[in-house]
Formats: sequence, structure tokens, C-alpha cells
Amino acid sequence: MSVSAPPASSKSIATNALRNAGLIDRDAPMRDGDNPGGRKGKLRSGRTTRMMDITKDRPSSTRMHPIRLSASAGPSDPLAIRGAARPVMSGRIRRNAISGSPANSISSIPIRVTKPKAVDSWREFVQKRWNPELKYLNLDSMIEDETVKKYNLTPPGAGGSARDAAVIFKLASQLKPEVETLSLANNNLTGTLLVQLSRYLPKLLNLSLQNNKIRDKKEITMIVPRKDKMIHLRELVLTGNPLREQAYKAGQGATYRSDIVRRFTSLAVLDQEPIAQISFDGPQPSTSAMPVEKPNATTFPFDMNPSFVTGVDGGLVSKFLINFFNAFDGQRESLINAYDPAATFSFSANTSIPARARLVGFHSSREMPNQRKLEWKTWLDGGSRNLNRIGGDPQKTLQNLHVGGEQIISVLRSLPSTAHDIGGPPEKFCIDAFPVMHGQSMGLLLTVHGQFTELGTGGIRSFDRTFMLVPATEGSRAKANGWDIVILSDQWIIRSYSSHEAWKPSPLLVQAVVNKSQNGPANSGFSLMSFPPDQQAVLAQLPEAQRNLVVQISSQTRLNAKFAIDCLQLNGWDLGKAVANFNQVKSSLDRDAFL
Amino acid sequence: MSATPSTTLTPNDIEIATRAADHFTRIYYTAYDSDTRLADLPPFYRSNSSLTWNGKPFQGAEGLKELVAKMPATKHEVQSFDCHPIPGAQPPSLLITVSGNVTHGRGPAGNPPDTPVRAIEGHPRVFSQTFILVPDPTAPPTKPGEVAKYYVGADAVRFVG
Repeated sequence: MSVSAPPASSKSIATNALRNAGLIDRDAPMRDGDNPGGRKGKLRSGRTTRMMDITKDRPSSTRMHPIRLSASAGPSDPLAIRGAARPVMSGRIRRNAISGSPANSISSIPIRVTKPKAVDSWREFVQKRWNPELKYLNLDSMIEDETVKKYNLTPPGAGGSARDAAVIFKLASQLKPEVETLSLANNNLTGTLLVQLSRYLPKLLNLSLQNNKIRDKKEITMIVPRKDKMIHLRELVLTGNPLREQAYKAGQGATYRSDIVRRFTSLAVLDQEPIAQISFDGPQPSTSAMPVEKPNATTFPFDMNPSFVTGVDGGLVSKFLINFFNAFDGQRESLINAYDPAATFSFSANTSIPARARLVGFHSSREMPNQRKLEWKTWLDGGSRNLNRIGGDPQKTLQNLHVGGEQIISVLRSLPSTAHDIGGPPEKFCIDAFPVMHGQSMGLLLTVHGQFTELGTGGIRSFDRTFMLVPATEGSRAKANGWDIVILSDQWIIRSYSSHEAWKPSPLLVQAVVNKSQNGPANSGFSLMSFPPDQQAVLAQLPEAQRNLVVQISSQTRLNAKFAIDCLQLNGWDLGKAVANFNQVKSSLDRDAFL
Repeated sequence: MSATPSTTLTPNDIEIATRAADHFTRIYYTAYDSDTRLADLPPFYRSNSSLTWNGKPFQGAEGLKELVAKMPATKHEVQSFDCHPIPGAQPPSLLITVSGNVTHGRGPAGNPPDTPVRAIEGHPRVFSQTFILVPDPTAPPTKPGEVAKYYVGADAVRFVG
């Protein structure tokens, strides 16, 4: 097909249609007049500085091959190997080279060899619309833009495809400084055309999609397929899209807002109205810029410690737990007195398979023959409130949070029967409890980790249970029924079985340690107690982190405490270097260097 | 001391709490796992925050710094979390529990070459972490629509698998 005149007619028809539909402002703002000329020489000189802005960080070779968008674009980048990056045949360029859309009625036009390729034209357009001072890229009303018209570009929403959009977003991602604010207003865009937005501009702070064609919640899902996308977005404008306008027309404005708000975790303003929210003093740009040491330790600074109970009578905690779990296993309805009348309860199933338990093979161990019978269905169907799974469903989020003794007992009775061997081996449970502020008074935060048998199957599960407790007041129903402390909140996590060895008090290892000493006993079980008493006394004076390192190096090398300390000191307390150093010199060491 | 709350929870309270927990868990573990952890994590805490790490207590943002300064690099994966507004105070404190796994150092790839296949060291641990997020009425708001600014009042973590 050969068309000698630029196919402006189809474009102006589309533009007029949009205008008539009221979807494009008649006087869509253009940031600058730009150079209206179409001659190549003039163009180049007109945008030299801006081209420098975007290309100066890249090797000059990329400027020689401007179709390569990024110096780092590898084969994993579809745009680098298909579409825009494909070299064109001499003298001709497919009009939609970057869209690859064969459906377009004008699939190719003859153009002069010197005419810039589509991606270069888009780059010129993006550069023109970029305000680096404000970090603002204004891509509104693309179809009306002089540069777009000049090169016969087909913007997404006006005949262009998702790939055209991706090319534009990729060019935007290369701007310096990074784009913070992006307007795509008045472009007739649908969700399909925006699927690559979060990939190329994941750190956007403000986004306007005003006056586009987003109709459906599913299109929002295309823009943010998962909640870890666009996690920095503070402000979003969807005004003038059917999705929003129809919701408001139907009196569903609040539902629309909560739907959108749930998908963008950090959003503070939607359609120019603030969102009620809780915020945090998390990392700030100022603090993140502070020079700090990267995490580079190769050992844990502290050991695994035993159960920790402070600020409260340990007997009180034990009594509560024994009474609670006995009633939980035996007669759940009697727990109604243990909960405050306004108490909250929920349970969550973490169905992931723990890596260490899988390695050990608990799933198929002979000691626990019923593990294969366990199923998650009962728990998942029974109202698991794992917000990772159901956080997007406001009904479930509400229903699966149980408030007040009666509701709580009712759901507890519906859950599988359990046996917590709370009177059995104490090492199978781990407890941390300490006082916390609660309003103007104090409460007790109590966490319990352990295991229970699911009676229906006989299988064993692990659990974490967290209670927020306050003293039972005199004359309260709890007090009258023998509960000295009463539950305000109760959260129960049920997960696949992991051994209680996880919290056995001992040094913690970051990496596996292989015992290299010949004929040496296996290093498992090697501890501070493996040193003679006089050496233990020396080690007791060391800071805990250093003591742990000595234990670790001696477990590998069998060096005695004195030599182990010397070796570590010489190597700046770096375990890896110290072991390497030991291996260099071990043949020259006397017997008395060893344990 | 009265345990009886003066207000009941509304669906709106629960929605705000749910979203806060979602946001918090994301930014908290991103900060924990980042190269700039030592700068990013302390702002979540205040001087009266109480922490325990595997049964060892720490106090305040300073304690937190002491705890994480020599902690190996981490990679957390949140597999489950839940959040309640704790009844009895307004605005309510939030009780958040998180279950997931955490890899320290270089993970299995960082183990010595002759490590037995079944060795568990270096592989991800299961962690269980509980936070109480507390409103700070004195903190100036920084966002439009901000109900309150919350900080970590209590934080208890254990490796449990």
C-alpha cells in the first residue's frame, strides 16, 4: 500500500470524535510550543540539550543506535528484541513498527530514509512533555500533540496498542530525575493499554488517568495486578472514567472508593479527596539517604533464648495458659468467661510448607503417621482471616473477625477439636510475655508458640497464639469464674508442623558449618559447655557476639579458647577469614592449641 | 483499671485497620530487608517501645538499633498476617500478627560446598512476629486524611520453624 499524503484525516476524525464526546479538552494544555518544523536538521538542533539530558548517562554507542532503548536491555526485555527495537528495512518503515498491529488499515507508508524511527519520534515527544524541575511528565491529550501529528504517531487510545504504550512508559522510565507525577488524562485509555505502566514506572507518586475509558474493576487489576505494585502511589485521579462515574451515579461511590483504596496500599488521595488512614514514621528519603553500614554480618549477634516473661507473675501466666488450653481442648463454651464482652478473635491458616520441616521430612515421618491426613480445607472454609489471602474481600475481612464472647465461642465450637499437651514436655511450648501500654493503663502481651493434635485426623500442627490481656476487674464475670486476667484480643495462626527445636536455646547459625577436622566428632551439640571450665570462664568475659564466634570456630577447628580468640582477633572477628587462616596454618600448630 | 471498652468497633475502623496492617507489613519488611535497614527501621519505633527478639529484650529505637546493627542480611516473606483494632481505647491500638519465612545471609547458596543435602542450616526459617501499633497523638500529620500516626509500641519475634 502506498499513500503519499500523511494519513492525517483518520486522526483528525478520531480527535473530533473525542472532542465531541467531551473526552478531550478543547484547549488541552501543551507545555511548550516546540518547533513546528518537520525538517530533520531543525529538529535535532531544537532539542539538543534535552537529548543530552536523557542520553548523557548512557554510553555513546547507544546514541549511535537509538532504537536500543536501554544500554542494559537484555534478551529478557521483550521490547528490546521485538517491536520497537527491531531494525527496519532500508528506506521503508512500517508505520506501526512499534505496535506491530496488522489490523491497522495503513500498515506501511513510504518515507524518506532520513525520517526518524517511531521510537525516536516518541522520545522527542516524551522529552518535550517532560518537566524535570517538577519531575512531572504530562502526557495528556496525546492525539492533539503537534509532534504526534508531525510523525503520524498513533498514541495508545487512538489506534495505538499496549506495545506503543509500553514504549512510551519505557522512555519515561529513562528520564532523569525519576518521574514522580504522570498525567495520562484525556487519552481514551483502557486498562489493557496500561498493563506495562507499573513495570516501567513502579515508583510513581501521583498519577492522573482523568477522562479515560476505564470501565471495570478488572482494568484496575491490569494496572496493579498485585498489591506490591505501585506501592508508592500517593495520589490517583480516575474522575471522568466510566468506572467511577457509573459507581457514583448508582450511589455506590463509597464502595468504589474502598475498592480502589484496597488495591493501592499507600494511596492518600483519590479523585482529589483524602483517604482516612493510619500512617507510620517509616523510612523517609532523608533517613534512607543517611550513610549506614549495609547488613553484612555472617553470624547472629544473639542466641536463641528461652521463654521470656517479665513484669508479670509467671505463675499467673502459667495458670492462665493451663486453664485456657484445657478449656479450649475440653469445653470451649466455658471460655466465654475468659473473653471480655468486647473482645476480638480470629484465626489464620498459613498453609505454606516450612522449608526446614520439609528437609527433615516431617510430612512422611514414621513418628507422625497421620500428617498426610491433614487438610487445610476445614480451616480455610471455616473462616481463616489470613489478610494476605482475603484482604481484598471486605465481606470476609469483616465476617472473619469475631467480636464478643458469644460470637467467639460460636466460631470456636465450629473449628476442629484439638489437644494441646500443655502439661507435657515444656520444651514443646515457648512463651514470651511483657507489659504494654493499653490506653491510659497497662495490658499484657502474651505470645505462645507450640503444637497441637487435630483430633479428627490425629495429625499434628504448629501454632502461634497472641493474646492481649488485662486484669479482670472485681465483680466482673471473668473474675467470678476464676479468671484473674481477661482476653481483649486473641489471634491464632495455624501452620504446618515444624519442630520445637526451632526455639531450643542455643547459638543460631546463619549458614551450615561443615566439620573439617579429621575424626572429629560431629559439631552438632558443640557448645560453650564443650570447653574446659577454665576456658569457659575466659569466654564468659567476652561480649556475647564474640563468644558465639569462638564457639563456632572451635566447633569447626577444635581450637582451644585462647587460640580461637587469637585467630578471630587477628582476622577482625570475621569467621570466614579466621577459618581460612586456620586452614593455612593448622599444620604448624602445636597440640596444645587444640581442645 | 477498666477492661470494658467505651466504644464498639465499626466496619470503618476495621477497614482502616486492615489497610494499615497491609501497608505496615509491606513497608516494615521492605525496610528490614534493605541495605539501609539501620536508617530505615528505627523511625518505626519510639523510646518507649518494648521489643523481644527470640526471648531477648530490647528497649526503644536505640535497642532496635543494637538488635539489627549486627544482624545478617535478611529476606522476609510474609505468608499470613492478621490485624485487630484492640478494643478499649480510641483511637484503637492495632494488634498485628505475622507468619512467614525469613532467609538470613546468603541462604542455601551460602552453605559450604560439602554441606549435607538434608542439612537445614542456611534454609529459610519460619518466623512469628507480633506488633502492637500505638497512636501517637503528638506526632504531626504528614498525609491528607491521616487519622493518626502510629508507631511500634511492642514487637515480639520468634523463629518457630
